[in-house]
Amino acid sequence: MNNEPASDRFVDPTPTDWNSAEMQARIRKRYASERRFKFLGLTAVVASAAFLAFLLLVMLGNGIGGFSQTRIALPIDFETAPIGLDPDLIRSGSGEAALAGADFRGLVDYAATEAYGPGADAWFSGGAWEIVRARIAADPDILLGKATFDLPAASDIDVANKGDGGAVSERAVADLERRGVISKSFNSAFLTGGDATDPALAGIWGALKGSLLTMAVTLALAFPIGVLASLYLEEYAPQNRWTDIIEVSINNLAAVPSIIFGLLALAVFINFFGMPTSSPLVGGLTLALMTMPVIVIAGRNAIKSVPPSIRDAALGVGASRVQVVFHHVLPLALPGILTGTIIGMARALGETAPLLLIGMRAFIADPPAGLSDAATVLPMQIFLWSDEVDKGFVEKTSAAIIVLLVVLLTMNALAVYFRNRFEKRW
Amino acid sequence: MSTDTSDAVSATGSPNAKMTARDVSVFYGDKQAINSVSIDVDRDNVTAFIGPSGCGKSTFLRTLNRMNDTIPSARVEGEIKLDGEDIYASAMDVVQLRARVGMVFQKPNPFPKSIYDNVAYGPKIHGLADNKGEMDTIVERSLKRAGLWEEVKDRLTDSGTALSGGQQQRLCIARAIAVDPEVILMDEPCSALDPIATAKIEELIHELRGRYAIVIVTHNMQQAARVSQRTAFFHLGTLVEYGLTTDIFTNPRETRTKDYITGRYG
Ligand SMILES: Nc1ncnc2c1ncn2[C@@H]1O[C@H](COP(=O)(O)OP(=O)(O)O)[C@@H](O)[C@H]1O
Ligand SMILES: [Mg+2]
Repeated sequence: MNNEPASDRFVDPTPTDWNSAEMQARIRKRYASERRFKFLGLTAVVASAAFLAFLLLVMLGNGIGGFSQTRIALPIDFETAPIGLDPDLIRSGSGEAALAGADFRGLVDYAATEAYGPGADAWFSGGAWEIVRARIAADPDILLGKATFDLPAASDIDVANKGDGGAVSERAVADLERRGVISKSFNSAFLTGGDATDPALAGIWGALKGSLLTMAVTLALAFPIGVLASLYLEEYAPQNRWTDIIEVSINNLAAVPSIIFGLLALAVFINFFGMPTSSPLVGGLTLALMTMPVIVIAGRNAIKSVPPSIRDAALGVGASRVQVVFHHVLPLALPGILTGTIIGMARALGETAPLLLIGMRAFIADPPAGLSDAATVLPMQIFLWSDEVDKGFVEKTSAAIIVLLVVLLTMNALAVYFRNRFEKRW
Repeated sequence: MSTDTSDAVSATGSPNAKMTARDVSVFYGDKQAINSVSIDVDRDNVTAFIGPSGCGKSTFLRTLNRMNDTIPSARVEGEIKLDGEDIYASAMDVVQLRARVGMVFQKPNPFPKSIYDNVAYGPKIHGLADNKGEMDTIVERSLKRAGLWEEVKDRLTDSGTALSGGQQQRLCIARAIAVDPEVILMDEPCSALDPIATAKIEELIHELRGRYAIVIVTHNMQQAARVSQRTAFFHLGTLVEYGLTTDIFTNPRETRTKDYITGRYG
């Protein structure tokens, strides 16, 4: 025991002067640093918001035109036009062959020159004749008289009509406007059609559908496998060297450059298992390999953050391990798992490199009908279009980016919705 | 206060024993936390485990319903019986054991679910109710026994986590009661509660006595004196002294016990 008197052990300190100049300066400094920190934080938030807004506005400005299409009314007088078809022939058994053999391209060129003078045939989209043919096939009786077709304009006219064309095209547009035959309307073909060599006819639906199918395969594989793997690793696996090795491998897998997954998929899925090239099935498998580690890592963190007391509580009333996991741990971890899943899926949605290697960069005119059909995906379509020389593809590219962003935002919104539904507080 | 009138208790050999432990040792890896403890838990009385922090009270308590099984490094030696049945035998179903020997933890840990679902969870997984009506009865009875019914009967769908700390702990007791256990283990159930909530839990323990065999770990000696009829004093992983609470507190046999209850260390 210490026998010294208490007063010897404590030297009486001089009382603190809270109002001294030094103290005041210290307080001012503290407030200043607080303000500085707040300001820096705010600047960072504003800067990133501004970047995002800038990006969106530029894309919207460039791409909005891609959703509309300039059309020119073209009257065709079938009595004089060189087409050599009549309604009876088309309705007869050899109608298909007759339509296939007829020169609709020549017909459109002829009618354009007749109506608007020499050179006017170049004002129409290279694929305009397909619309004429489709309408004749549907209603052969128009071959008996005159008819007017609203045909898509060639891309230089289209661009000029939207205010950004060359002098020649501008003059043509002015001429057409004087005649009152030029119009601009919503281009529904863009949202329902597949890719085409003619920008006036090219649509995003093929790539969009390819992306949706690919994402469906990715989600269907990566989510359950990722969740089960993280549950097993967190709740069941013994803590030993093997689980350490697995943990390191998964972390590394998440960091592997995506193109390597493409090479792996090419070697395994296509060359070894003989799965169809360019298909959403193989694309989805490839992206699932990439996405799974992201889900496992997020899932393990989410499971770790479930308080152990909840496990004790459930075990304490006699729940089995599986019941603890599925009644308590998983529901509480689900919001975190969903956040990880959406990050992984968003990355997969924007991925192009591995898909290049499995052949999803081909020109694909028909939207895929199933998982094994040849397909492409949105970012690949953007890449392909941005590579085109035709000026009409510039705004198509931006329009495709808008579609990609809309898909991304929809996906994120869904995830936030589900997360809020499952979120529980304790 | 203790109401027990029997003359004395020996650590072992009581004919009224609900649970018996013989030469129980517990290891965490190489480290021994409990050294050869033998003790009988009485069927009709409240048994208190006291002792300084880290002496192994929780560790020993958790061997009684095999909660230590969930700690990979923990290893239990010796024999523990519930009504003569070896609970560490391979024939013993640990899930059923934990329903028969319920547990209330130090920190109130209601599920982040409704009050009703908290109580109904145990009966549901053990199939104790055939329909909604039976479940309602079980929930109401359990909440009444836990002394919580009057406070929550109008908001059974509210989250259990929205209750106050004391109410949460009584909800946890109701949850343990709902599966109709034979023994209830409580590990410092009041250490996170204020004095009023503590008094309520102590009152509740009095009421539950006789219906369930109760073991309570506490480092609050006044609490041990108030709620228990038997007290076991643990020190450094060994059972130093076990006897009637009145004897332990007024006339301890061991000097270590005396030192502890007079506040010389702890
Ligand atoms: N999970 C564990 N792993 C390793 N050692 C533990 C674990 N739990 C408790 N211990 C050790 O066992 C001893 C007894 O702990 P515990 O039973 O919690 O004591 P008490 O409840 O009496 O305070 C302590 O030394 C503690 O450090
Ligand atoms: Mg303890």
